[in-house]
Amino acid sequence: MHFSIFRYNPEQDEKPYMQDFHVDLESTDRMLLDVILRIKAQDDSLTIRKSCREGVCGSDAININGRNGLACITPVRELKEPVELRPLPSFPVIRDLVVDMTQFFKQYHSIKPYLINNEPAPEKERLQSPQDRDKLDGLYECILCACCTSQCPSSWWNPDKFVGPAGLLQAYRFISDSRDRATQERLDDLNDPYRLFRCRTIMNCTEVCPKGLVPSRAIEKIRLMMVKHSL
Amino acid sequence: MRKAVTGLRAWLVQRVSAVYMLLVIVFFLLHFVIDPPHSYPAWHAWMMNPSVSVISGVFFAALLAHAWVGLRDVIMDYIHPVAVRVCAFALLGVGLAATGIWIMQILWMEHGSVI
Repeated sequence: MHFSIFRYNPEQDEKPYMQDFHVDLESTDRMLLDVILRIKAQDDSLTIRKSCREGVCGSDAININGRNGLACITPVRELKEPVELRPLPSFPVIRDLVVDMTQFFKQYHSIKPYLINNEPAPEKERLQSPQDRDKLDGLYECILCACCTSQCPSSWWNPDKFVGPAGLLQAYRFISDSRDRATQERLDDLNDPYRLFRCRTIMNCTEVCPKGLVPSRAIEKIRLMMVKHSL
Repeated sequence: MRKAVTGLRAWLVQRVSAVYMLLVIVFFLLHFVIDPPHSYPAWHAWMMNPSVSVISGVFFAALLAHAWVGLRDVIMDYIHPVAVRVCAFALLGVGLAATGIWIMQILWMEHGSVI
């Protein structure tokens, strides 16, 4: 199987280039990550991030044939050849397929991704009804792999000001949590021409999310809540 | 307050104006399909009907507001240097204001000619 992989080592290379690799698949090779590791065995200078290798940690998000995804849960045999692998679009490249995610996490932290509740803590825990708990489904599963934000044109043009789909999905996760008491503050913080309203409903985020989540719906729900709260 | 004007409110203006314009376009199309005016004076008289005048007047106001939010978004997305951005906003504002005055002039003059 043929692969064309983005290579860039800022200490040696003047500019990035694509390097071709040929790999004979073995019957045990199922996912793209298996084959990337086989390539790394051929050429150990190839740099990639990975950890859990089963779609839970979100470390190995890369651009596969133009589409962001997790290498560890992408069936390699279904890919069109030559398989083109690039780092996540618009993120600064550290080396080969590894990108700098500082900005991404800065945006994530800006939405205060933790429960805010200053009421005295109960003896055991803050309880939640099963119905309220259900509201977090489709939100809490986000693994922050950045596939969505890196594929979002609004994030490409204003990565420093637009929170991005991943951050906004997380914002909605805390807005809709019955135990959180800072709903109004969270909505006020996002009511800004840049932080939320750069979203143009392009929906690349929803298209590429490897966990099948729908950031665009979360964004729409934040907007509707803002409308309700401002009435 | 300023935040509300440029964030949620701009988005609402864009959505509401879009829905209004869609309804008006459907209304006009239906009128021309079901009961098409047979001559220019007949069409002119229909357009000069007070309720149709109000509907079309509000339509153009919605069109200008919609264009303002949409083009403002394009400028905010792509034009980052402050000086260039201020020029683009000024150009857009002057362009939309001129278009608005032109539309008002046409509608007004037509009403004047009837009276």
